[in-house]
Amino acid sequence: MAYTTFNRNINDQLKEPMFFGNAVNVSRYDQQKYPIFEKLIEKQLSFFWRPEEIDVSKDRIDFQQLPDHEKHIFLSNLKYQTLLDSVQGRSPNVALLPIVSIPELETWIETWAFSETIHSRSYTHIVRNITAEPHKVFDDIMLNEKILERAQDVTRYYDALIDGVNLYQRCGEGNHNINGNIESITLRELKKRLYLCMMSVNVLEAIRFYVSFACSFAFAERELMEGNAKIIRLIARDEALHLTGTQHILNIMASGDDDPEMAEIARECEEDAYAIFMLAAEQEKDWAAYLFKDGSMIGLNKDILCQYVEYITNSRMQAVGLKPRFATTQNPIPWINTWLVSDNVQVAPQESEISSYLVGQIDNEVDSDEFGDFDL
Amino acid sequence: MSKVIVNAQMPLSYDSGQHNLLVFLEQHKQSVSFQCREGFCGACRCKLISGEVRYLQEPLAFVRKGEFLPCCSVPIGDISIEIPK
Repeated sequence: MAYTTFNRNINDQLKEPMFFGNAVNVSRYDQQKYPIFEKLIEKQLSFFWRPEEIDVSKDRIDFQQLPDHEKHIFLSNLKYQTLLDSVQGRSPNVALLPIVSIPELETWIETWAFSETIHSRSYTHIVRNITAEPHKVFDDIMLNEKILERAQDVTRYYDALIDGVNLYQRCGEGNHNINGNIESITLRELKKRLYLCMMSVNVLEAIRFYVSFACSFAFAERELMEGNAKIIRLIARDEALHLTGTQHILNIMASGDDDPEMAEIARECEEDAYAIFMLAAEQEKDWAAYLFKDGSMIGLNKDILCQYVEYITNSRMQAVGLKPRFATTQNPIPWINTWLVSDNVQVAPQESEISSYLVGQIDNEVDSDEFGDFDL
Repeated sequence: MSKVIVNAQMPLSYDSGQHNLLVFLEQHKQSVSFQCREGFCGACRCKLISGEVRYLQEPLAFVRKGEFLPCCSVPIGDISIEIPK
């Protein structure tokens, strides 16, 4: 079961499950078991952007004029996002590449993690521009208790999966004596860890990021920190796509068409899945309380942000086939939607407003419907 | 012209050549959550109770049987839909 970078077994990749089949050999996309991952890759590539393209020099002046409690909100969010993207820039690669079995999914994972590294670099870009002492911001991430508390739950499912896969690939199923400790692992246990890990990643991208997004956009609604908001908007667009990726993986797993055992595990882990969502929602509400401990900001306070967490948790749970658990049914901050619409994302002023210009500029299919609103 | 029934209310009339269903629903003051409006985030997911829709672009978001994304589709004939709470 050891991992190999080029598996010599001649296999039919169309018959492999997403994970825990044969390791991938030829990266070929002429035949695809799940074409959706290829489409996600294309979309992600069309979204490509670089932080340096966005001018954040005006943000420096804005930042200096912010009252202290708003500086706290702004910097704390940046720190938390830096933590989340530090994890996301490496973990999908480390945890999922050793066990993936189909090439289009393998490449999607790499493309996904790569785009997270752009996000990490963009935080440095922002911090460098708004403060003369960026090291103080980054050094605090490793010392800030509120952030570290979250780091624990963000990473534990990844770490459990990586640990189990290491043991399995080295020694196989069964009980093993590792340096005097008896450790046991089964493939079923690994599949369970994988399922819970995907669920936790889904929660990370679906809920955890959105509290910070809401604050960034609330500043920008007041025409403050607008360079930052432009960057966050691009990040939000990428995250929405990653989220679609994890939702597809989870739903394919739960359907059982790919690996019948995975469907059993999905049913078995339903309560754990609810618990992951509910714990994340509670932690994000605590985070909102920490952000606003010294005072609220115009347009946003702790209660509104907590309602938003509940609203978004409900909708994310439904997307992966779970029942909503909160009573909130209305979005308390509907203005956030206009910031999240991808059509309005503009990378640089000289470029067209539609940012998916890199692919699909020409549509060869012309239907008579297209002339429906033509008048002569 | 097709009829669009939303949450079992009075039918709304949709003219062919109009925008996608999300814009149509918004014009009729129906609140639908949305994010990307391009079919990749899935935020606007609604239930299709009866009838059929045609996608202007194939959605990337996960869509279950009996669901559809109004942001990138138009109705084919009369449809009945449910906007989730």
